[in-house]
Amino acid sequence: MHASGALEAKDYKSDLKPIWCPGCGDFGVLSALYRALANIGRSPHEIAFVSGIGCSSRIPGYTTAYGFNSVHGRALPIAQGIKLANPDLLVLVAGGDGDGFSIGGGHVPHAIRRNIDITYIVMDNQIYGLTKGQLSPTSPRGTHTVTSPEGSLEDPVNPLLYVLGYGAHFVAQSTPADQIGLTAVIEEAIRFPGFAFVNVQSPCVTFGDPNQQLKAHKEGLKSLAKINYDPSHRVKAMALAQTYGKDLYTGVFYRNPNPPPTFDSLVRERQRHMAPQAMPREKILDTFLPH
Amino acid sequence: MPERVLMEGSAAIVEAAVQAGCRFYAGYPITPSTEILELMSVRMPQVGGTCMNAESEIEAIGMVWGAAGCGVRSMIASTGQGISLMQESFAELANAQIPIVAVNMCRGQGDYFQATRGGGHGDYRFIVLAPSTAQEAADLTQLAFHLADKWRNPVMIMGDFLLSHTSEMVSFAAPALAELPPKEWAVTGAKGRRGITLSPLGPSEKLSTDVAAALANVTAKHSAIVSEEVRVEHGFLEDAELVVVAFGFPGRFVKYAVRLARERGLRVGYVRPISLWPFPRHAVASAAATARAVAVFELNAGQMIEDVQLSVLGRVPVVAIGGISHDHSGFGVGPLLNVEHILKRIGQVYSGKEDP
Repeated sequence: MHASGALEAKDYKSDLKPIWCPGCGDFGVLSALYRALANIGRSPHEIAFVSGIGCSSRIPGYTTAYGFNSVHGRALPIAQGIKLANPDLLVLVAGGDGDGFSIGGGHVPHAIRRNIDITYIVMDNQIYGLTKGQLSPTSPRGTHTVTSPEGSLEDPVNPLLYVLGYGAHFVAQSTPADQIGLTAVIEEAIRFPGFAFVNVQSPCVTFGDPNQQLKAHKEGLKSLAKINYDPSHRVKAMALAQTYGKDLYTGVFYRNPNPPPTFDSLVRERQRHMAPQAMPREKILDTFLPH
Repeated sequence: MPERVLMEGSAAIVEAAVQAGCRFYAGYPITPSTEILELMSVRMPQVGGTCMNAESEIEAIGMVWGAAGCGVRSMIASTGQGISLMQESFAELANAQIPIVAVNMCRGQGDYFQATRGGGHGDYRFIVLAPSTAQEAADLTQLAFHLADKWRNPVMIMGDFLLSHTSEMVSFAAPALAELPPKEWAVTGAKGRRGITLSPLGPSEKLSTDVAAALANVTAKHSAIVSEEVRVEHGFLEDAELVVVAFGFPGRFVKYAVRLARERGLRVGYVRPISLWPFPRHAVASAAATARAVAVFELNAGQMIEDVQLSVLGRVPVVAIGGISHDHSGFGVGPLLNVEHILKRIGQVYSGKEDP
């Protein structure tokens, strides 16, 4: 902690040493996350950080926040339970493209349509790294892996289009190669009142495409901040999202200027509205009679 | 609230859960457990809780896992088919020592193995309680929340179609349960505490790499649960030559059949396991010690009979007198759940006309 009492990035760093491969993009996601959290200034004990299974799902353990290392693909349901049971917590969810768009893909639309106030960071590396290099839901068509030795036959999921299509109100993309930009979008996603999605192109140094590593990202990324892009239109964002897998646009794709109320706030409102109906206790029996 | 009210077993479970302090529920519709979800959608917000009509059983159990991890008493209900979908999370949250209460309103009694052995991976166990009446369902639901927190272990209430849908008189006296320590492990946002990662790999230490030590620590409590939490009802055992074992709602039918058998002069007694895990092994063994045979009535192809055999250890014959029995819908109970039929089967085993 700084002498002034302000929290610094290192206050969010745990004493557990990451076991990612040297050169993994996830290191850069972690350092950007430390900085974004310090900028926001919520204490680690006010943060719950949920993950599933995969290389990137180890990330909660490397922070001083409360953490849930859960099961493959189920981070979003667990995070929603946490936010609804303890709405004062800042709830973050992180995982990989497999966790988010293969095994857990069915949970994403429902977290989005409820607009629960959580931030979902996907470290998208287009490969299954933890299990040593199998096909992922975001692997480009034709990708050669140990489970597609002759090249994959299917198109990838487009995570940006996926969440935009289901109605997400905040959608951004970045890369650890741009630390300032990545920190900024994570911070903005956390501050957004509602479900916020950040797709981080986080290269796998061991099993990923050698031509799509951090150096290539640095040289090829196209910052939306520099092209006078207005992120307040969903359809324009969906058009831009079509570039996924071809161009690496970074920044906020879509931010609803008038987001609807969050599900968690509506639940509190419903509780206030229904609390008087719980009394007197003599009336409880009526609940169980047919109307 | 009146002293006693008429309500279905499902409603009794909901009301008991509310009174036990349950403030989070998530579920997915499935017969015959849907009423619990419907009633919870009314009762939870009334008492400041949250009820989620989830997108699937898989999402529901994830939400319950998250809420319970915050220290909030949380419940989920389903039917064996839906419980099947929750098994991965069941195994993991048990190993992460997160206390939840899960209700299984089975179709028939085919989910005994699922409840007591579990369909998930690893060495976890659920404490399983099998009520036979709406009143007992209410009492055991209150107890279930207490046991879950006491042991930091999931507890399952195992009922069936009849328990769920039969209306009976129920009262809700506050149970005399010991006070429990605060949940210092919970994700509550308490200042000054070290961040906790709720994970099977070391619930209080961040992502321990010593898997064996973490799992040994979690499972060490199993033997204490086995010695402290057995619950069982029995009757007419003093001079019983035949002991009938049955659980849940059909246990009531067996009790009645045994009483009729006694009126006809047959020396028959019964044992009704209330806790299916831990199984009342000693009660069954001592009842069998003075009997000629043990009969097991259950509405499945023979599941609890294995626990009875493990208790009796071959000292007397153990005979199955139940069987798979459903109504035309497949949800309810079938023709085998009939006192006259049970009595006939008891008579056959008693007279030695049926050998194992």
